[in-house]
Amino acid sequence: MENSGAQVAQEIEWIKRAQQGEPEAFGPLVQKHQQRVFSLVYHLVRRRDEVEDLAQEIFIKAFRAIRSYNFQSSFATWLSRIATNHCYDYLRHERASRVSYYWQMGENSQQELETNAESQPEQVLDHEEQTVLKDLVTKLLDRAPENDRKILVLKELQDYSVEEIAEILNLKPTTVKVRLHRARKRMLEDLRQWREENKGHAL
Amino acid sequence: MRCDDIRDRLDNLWEGEETAEVRQHLTQCAGCARYHRDLRLVLSGFHLLKREEAVEPSLGFAERLVRQLGEMSKAPSVADFFERVGRRFVYATLALTFLAVLALALPPTGPVRGLSATDIQISAQEASLAYSDPMGETSLQEFPELAPGEAPAPAVTNEVK
Repeated sequence: MENSGAQVAQEIEWIKRAQQGEPEAFGPLVQKHQQRVFSLVYHLVRRRDEVEDLAQEIFIKAFRAIRSYNFQSSFATWLSRIATNHCYDYLRHERASRVSYYWQMGENSQQELETNAESQPEQVLDHEEQTVLKDLVTKLLDRAPENDRKILVLKELQDYSVEEIAEILNLKPTTVKVRLHRARKRMLEDLRQWREENKGHAL
Repeated sequence: MRCDDIRDRLDNLWEGEETAEVRQHLTQCAGCARYHRDLRLVLSGFHLLKREEAVEPSLGFAERLVRQLGEMSKAPSVADFFERVGRRFVYATLALTFLAVLALALPPTGPVRGLSATDIQISAQEASLAYSDPMGETSLQEFPELAPGEAPAPAVTNEVK
């Protein structure tokens, strides 16, 4: 994401004024970053009705902590880190689901879905099939360990680069690559095991 | 190509990089073909989730938030109080706890703790024993200055005659 020099300077001025305790200076920062925060929160928690409340809490936390922002990383990255951690505080009490619509499908329907999903799924799959597939991957994310979920959401849904993810999670880029590889591998293994558990349940 | 090689190339497959060698193996190995189909299924699911309609902030979200922050700045809440002093409070409590543990752990006497009340009492008793005169042989007396040629007064004793 490229910002012009003037935009960057403007943002720095807002941040410095907010660090002096001016809520009015925080307003433009909220407006600039709110969509990104809303998107990240939604992808992490998957509850539309909770997103705005969580986003509000995140921005309040960010304002209270803004004196600790030292301009080492981008403000967007710093904010994403607060958002990720806050969402995980919220999610810690949620239990992973053992049910998915996918396993209610007949075997033939599953195969058809898999074949169709290989090409452009939003064009080939009907609405119901898209719902089933989104539900399956959502549940796989729910079941994944916290660190796996964080890294997969940031990479696959938020399109952050490895370097950006490294900054958000306070890791080295090489560590991010290794963790991403393991997270993908564990998710596929989980799907395989989940399929074994549900064999015979399909219609 | 072995099945393990397919798993090792997971990231390449995930990014859509399939070599002819991989495709060849997938036509011959049911297990790896299943693995590959699962991978494509999950990727498609991520693709659909990414394209989902975003949750938009409601109208005036930023303005309401700024107003709330302004009110919070004027009237610090209990949470703000604990956020400001909480850390200091915790450090102070830890320091006091450490001192209390130290006080309990140290021996009752010695160069750090000094004399205890018992020590002083024992010293006082020893001092009084050192000066006691059961047989009347010694006594604490002030010896006044004598004039030249004046003999000292006889010692007071309790000698039984």
